[in-house]
Amino acid sequence: MSKINNSAIRQGLIRCHDCGTLSQARQRRFCPLCGCRLHGRIPHSQQKTLALLIGSLALYVPANLFPIMTITKFGVGEPHTIIGGIIALANSDMVPIAALVLIASILVPLLKMLGLALLLLYVHLQWQGHARRWTRIYRVILFVGRWSMLDIFMISILVSLVDLGGVAQVIAGSAATAFAAVVVFTMFAAKSFDPRLLWDNQDYE
Amino acid sequence: MYEIQLDACPECDLLIHAGQPEVGEKAHCPRCGCLLHRPTQNSIERTLALSLTGLILLFPANLLPLVGIKLLGKDQDGTLWSGVSALFAENMWALAVLVFLSSMLFPAINIVLSLLISGHLYFRRFHPALPNWLRWLQHLGEWAMLEVYTLGIIVACVKLSSMAELHFGLGLCAFIALLLITGMLASNLDNPLFWRQIAQLNHEQNQ
Ligand SMILES: [Zn+2]
Ligand SMILES: [Zn+2]
Repeated sequence: MSKINNSAIRQGLIRCHDCGTLSQARQRRFCPLCGCRLHGRIPHSQQKTLALLIGSLALYVPANLFPIMTITKFGVGEPHTIIGGIIALANSDMVPIAALVLIASILVPLLKMLGLALLLLYVHLQWQGHARRWTRIYRVILFVGRWSMLDIFMISILVSLVDLGGVAQVIAGSAATAFAAVVVFTMFAAKSFDPRLLWDNQDYE
Repeated sequence: MYEIQLDACPECDLLIHAGQPEVGEKAHCPRCGCLLHRPTQNSIERTLALSLTGLILLFPANLLPLVGIKLLGKDQDGTLWSGVSALFAENMWALAVLVFLSSMLFPAINIVLSLLISGHLYFRRFHPALPNWLRWLQHLGEWAMLEVYTLGIIVACVKLSSMAELHFGLGLCAFIALLLITGMLASNLDNPLFWRQIAQLNHEQNQ
C-alpha cells in the first residue's frame, strides 16, 4: 500500500483556506464562493514560519533579561523581570497563581518555539511516521499561544490602577514590549505553518 | 454532480466523502483526527440571539469600572480603556495598541460581524460582503482575548491584594457575561452550515 496518497491536491483539487470549498486547481485561481486567492498550500509556509520563529527567539532574550515592570513605592523603584515577578508571587504564598504565570509566560512560549522548530524540521528533513501525533502538537501550539498575553494584560491593569505619582506607581518596562512581540510573532508563526505539509511527504497511509 | 459530496480535510488534505453528521454528532478526519464538523441546534437563530445580547453587554463591559482599589486613602477605578490609556501615557504605544485591539476592538468586531452575518442569514437577505464578513470573523477569532484578560484581572488582583483594598465594579459582571456570551457564540457558530447558506443565497441572487 505504499505511495498511495489520497490528498486533494494530488487529485488536482484545492480546498479554499477560508470557506472550505473544493475547486479544480487548473480551472480556477480564485474561490468561487468567497473570492479569495486559491493556494494548494500556504505559500512559502516554511520560510515564513522560520523567519517569525527566529524573530521571536531573538526577542525572547531581552524579554527575560530586562524588567517587565517597575513598582515604585515612595520614590524607590523596584524593577521586576518576568521570573522575578513569579518568584515574588511564590514568596508571598500565592503558589497556584505563581504556577499559572510560570506556565503562561515561560513554559508556553518556550515549548511553543521548540514545537514549531521541530515541526519545521519534521517537514524539512521529511521524517516518516507519527504524522498524526505531530498534527496534534500543531493543534496544541495553535490553541495555547494566546494565553501568554496574560502577563501583558496584567501589567496594563496594574499600570492603570496603581498611579499615585511618586508615592506608588507601576511603570511598564521595555521587556513588556519585547514579550508582547514574542507572543504576536509566535502566533503568526503558528498560523503560517501549513499542517498539510506534515502529510505530503508520508510514503504510506 | 460528483464533486459536491467530496470534501478535503483542512489539516491533512485527505479527500473525504462528506456525510452530513446529525446535531450532537461530531465528524472527525479518519487520517489526522481533526474535527471537521460539529453541527449545532438552530445555529443561525442562536447566533443572532447571542450576538444581540453581546452587543448590549459591550457597553457596560467597556464603560463601567471592572475593579477599583483603595490605596493610601485614594480611590482608583480601572476600566478596559483606562488600561490602554495608562500604557499610552507611559509611551508604550505598541503595547497600548495591542491591548486595545485584543481586549476592546476585536471582541466588539467579532460580535458585530456575528450579528450582521446571522441577521442576513436569518432574514435570508443577500449582501455582497457576506463571504468577507465570515472570513474576517474566522481570522479575528483568535485575536479577541477576553478570557485571557480575565486571567490577567485575577493575577493583578492577587498581586494587589497585599498592598491595597480591592472592590469589584459592576463592569466586571458585564465583562464576565460578555466573556460567556463570546464563548457560547464560538461554540455555537456552525461554520460549514453558514458557508452553505451563503452559497445558497449567492446562487439565488445570481438567478
Ligand atoms: Zn473560499
Ligand atoms: Zn485530516
